[in-house]
Amino acid sequence: MDIIGFLGLGFSVALDPINILYCFIGVLLGTLVGVLPGIGPTATIAMLLPITFSLSPAAALIMLAGIYYGAQYGGSTTAILINLPGESSSAVTAIDGYQMAKKGRAGHALATAALGSFFAGTVGTLLLAFFAPPLARAALNFGAPEYFALIVLGLLVSIALAHGSILKALAMIVLGLLLGMVGQDIYTGTPRFTFGVRELYSGLNFVSVAVGIFGVAEILRNLENEKGREVMVKSVSNLWLGKEEFKRIIAPVIRGTALGSILGILPGGGHILASFASYSAEKRLSKNPEEFGHGAIEGVAGPESANNAAAQTSFIPLMTLGIPAHPVMALMVGAFILQGITPGPNVINDQPALFWGIIASMWIGNLLLVMLNLPLIGLWVKMLTIPYRALFPAIVLFACIGCYSINQNVFDIYAIGFFGILGYGLIRLGCEPAPLLLGFVLGPLLEEHLRRAMIISRGDPMIFLERPISATLLGLALLAVLIAILPSIRKKRKEVFVEED
Amino acid sequence: MKKTIATLALATLALSGTAFAQAYPTKPITVVVPFSAGGPTDTVARLVAEVMSGDLGQQVVVQNVGGAGGTLGAGQVATAPNDGYTLLLHHIGMSTAPTLYRSLPYVPLTDFATIGLITSVPMTLVARKDFEPNTLEELLAYIKTNGENVTYAHAGIGSASQLCGMLLMESTQTVMTTVPYQGAGPAMTDIIGGQIDMICDQTTNTTSQIQAGEVKAYAVTSPERLANLPDLPTTKEAGLDLEIGVWHGLYAPAGTDPAIIERLETSLQAALTNETVIARFAELGTAPVTAEEATPAALTEMLTSQIELWRGVIEAAGVYAE
Amino acid sequence: MLAKFSLRDLLAGGIFVLAGAYFALEALNYEVGTPFRMGPGFMPLLLGAVLAALGIGVAASGWEKPDREKPLPPSWRGIVLIVGVVIFFGATIRGLGFVPVVFVAAFASAMASRLNSPLFAALLAVGLTVLCTAIFVIGLGMTVPWFGPWLGQ
Repeated sequence: MDIIGFLGLGFSVALDPINILYCFIGVLLGTLVGVLPGIGPTATIAMLLPITFSLSPAAALIMLAGIYYGAQYGGSTTAILINLPGESSSAVTAIDGYQMAKKGRAGHALATAALGSFFAGTVGTLLLAFFAPPLARAALNFGAPEYFALIVLGLLVSIALAHGSILKALAMIVLGLLLGMVGQDIYTGTPRFTFGVRELYSGLNFVSVAVGIFGVAEILRNLENEKGREVMVKSVSNLWLGKEEFKRIIAPVIRGTALGSILGILPGGGHILASFASYSAEKRLSKNPEEFGHGAIEGVAGPESANNAAAQTSFIPLMTLGIPAHPVMALMVGAFILQGITPGPNVINDQPALFWGIIASMWIGNLLLVMLNLPLIGLWVKMLTIPYRALFPAIVLFACIGCYSINQNVFDIYAIGFFGILGYGLIRLGCEPAPLLLGFVLGPLLEEHLRRAMIISRGDPMIFLERPISATLLGLALLAVLIAILPSIRKKRKEVFVEED
Repeated sequence: MKKTIATLALATLALSGTAFAQAYPTKPITVVVPFSAGGPTDTVARLVAEVMSGDLGQQVVVQNVGGAGGTLGAGQVATAPNDGYTLLLHHIGMSTAPTLYRSLPYVPLTDFATIGLITSVPMTLVARKDFEPNTLEELLAYIKTNGENVTYAHAGIGSASQLCGMLLMESTQTVMTTVPYQGAGPAMTDIIGGQIDMICDQTTNTTSQIQAGEVKAYAVTSPERLANLPDLPTTKEAGLDLEIGVWHGLYAPAGTDPAIIERLETSLQAALTNETVIARFAELGTAPVTAEEATPAALTEMLTSQIELWRGVIEAAGVYAE
Repeated sequence: MLAKFSLRDLLAGGIFVLAGAYFALEALNYEVGTPFRMGPGFMPLLLGAVLAALGIGVAASGWEKPDREKPLPPSWRGIVLIVGVVIFFGATIRGLGFVPVVFVAAFASAMASRLNSPLFAALLAVGLTVLCTAIFVIGLGMTVPWFGPWLGQ
């Protein structure tokens, strides 16, 4: 059978009314849990695993996959509306999305996210259908040195996340890296910075840090001056994108999709970089970078597309090699096994109907998602007309309950309070939270891959330059720094010349 | 309504403990799995819990409390009320934790009541497919001559693959360079990608890769060959004295009513003869234990002997988690 | 001398120096290791030192750039109540159970806003308790008791 035949087989499975129903339930549930802060796809899939016992393998996996990419979409809704990101990817969306909402353009931000995600999802699914096996093979060339180089590049490029002082952004990244090291060292098991608290052995919870430093800090800021200003603009004019805006998002969506697709394939943490990288790229390429951080629509379009493309392509290593790229994919492995299928290189040959059915369902799922969410935008935007004084207690509660439901760990809740205060203090001092969050998610990966690379090379740092991919990536990192510094040097030069004149 | 139920429950309690136990269970039972969802232990737990739910007439809910190498979840159950509604499903790590963690907040043998063994998942020695040695004999010779130049991956402190590695190095009197990973998935990725030399891991993680020819397999650590990998010799056949299985057991907090333990034991034994469970376990490359082993006595004996065994191995290796 | 500095930069820098120093000093308790086998102390020590250095840089960058605008005073009532609610939630969720904790937390956090009257806060708390119980406990099957062991259940 050729690829068209396989896709036909896939669609015949995915278009089965029962499977469409479960696909819809999946994306609907995913959207809902994505919207609720804290409860993410991991918790939901874990909770729903028992229910999938009684379903056919295709229906079960289609539904679980739907929850995953549905949640990716739903998460950005909360990030845009109330500045509560539930995942690292939506933290980036929150930067400009929330500013857009504050200016009464929440509808535009949400529509952009929906359309960008749909386009990216479509491309990601096509990649999965046509090139999954060779792409997965290529990704295997990434070992510890390559991942280390990639993360260094990601960190350096992402200084663009800040719209204020570069020095402060750097300090926030490093602080984030250090916070990411709290917990048991994976190499020796030594507990670090845990104050002897066992609950901290597995590290600080990302959701706690994000919810504290974005959500709680924002509430504390809004409480500063309640009479002086309204937090949200009440009059929301039109929800739909005009021609002008449509033109502005096309290029970012395409670039974001490309970046996200590539990074999503890398099982060692590439998907985390996708939205951060896309945001940096858009800011660099924009003609008015000063708009970023104050509601630039490109800052929503790019990262959202990148994120969704990566969500789609991160299925590639799982489906073709049985390798889970992140915790949600590890859960999917569990779901496969519970259905009596061990994911691995043989699934594509032994279970063609299932393999292609899931792929086809992803596209259908993305279509359902966009059909579900475009009408919902009006409803979400209405939600913003709830007075803030009634909305913020709900945000605090949802944050606490959501975080607690992940691991039943009360330290995750204390962490919300701690990071709320820290974030509030630092924001008042002109430091932005997004770089800290980036450092926090990448810190453990940076250390893990550096140390692993050094063990493999037996302590020889030349390994980073001897391997072509890692050398290229480090070269790009150096270039990124040079480009970042050059304009200010040139500017200084000009100033010097001006004075000489 | 609620009040009536409460009064009734109180009255039942007052009448006699056994009468209460006969009514058990009256509400959903939580089985704590001290690892994240989706892993091999979680899968075992969910398969068994599903069938036990039917037998007990109450939902048996799996709750994942991951962290600190499984000691967080186990610690939580150790201090949970011993009313039979909070149980623990833990693997071989139950016996290694007392040695690996020098400040463990619970004592496995006295803080828990054993219910029964569930299964013992065999492990396989595998390597990247272009790794030089082709048989176990060649592999052992290769490790002897190349020693620290051989890289051995494991899934983290206290993981089964780390334990197998320790055992392998102890029984062959060799030292390899161990490279820790965060879980079995990433470790396997680097084996398939040829970034690292070898690993010894549970069949759950390796079987499909072996069948697909993505990795080179040398031996299985169980006493008998596996049904779905019939060509793979056992370590014993190949002349290596290394036998290890990732055994799983079901526990309740110490002091749980013996009548409740008995009820759970019966239910566990019934689950282990269930066809779906047997079939799924077979796909994982394992089988349920016999009815004699799914008993408190057998699990206590296993736990006691394994704690001793691993104390020796871990102390000899000098590897601790804290 | 101090007047010439930006107070915000000075404070931010100070926080970074303190945090960096804490991580670096604490990291000294862990093994630093060798390049071949880096210990758990290596990265935190290095990054802690970098953070402290960046902190000095941040503070220095405020030289001769005193703050022009005075920031709004923080709402101490808001900070105490919101953070108090979070801590209360964590400390009592296991003991008191879902319903009472959510009710008290909702009421107290609503009181963080000066615009909310106690009556409005109480009404909001009732509404939110019903909503949250419906979504999380009933809808999502969260494993937490409605009323906890401290209340004799």
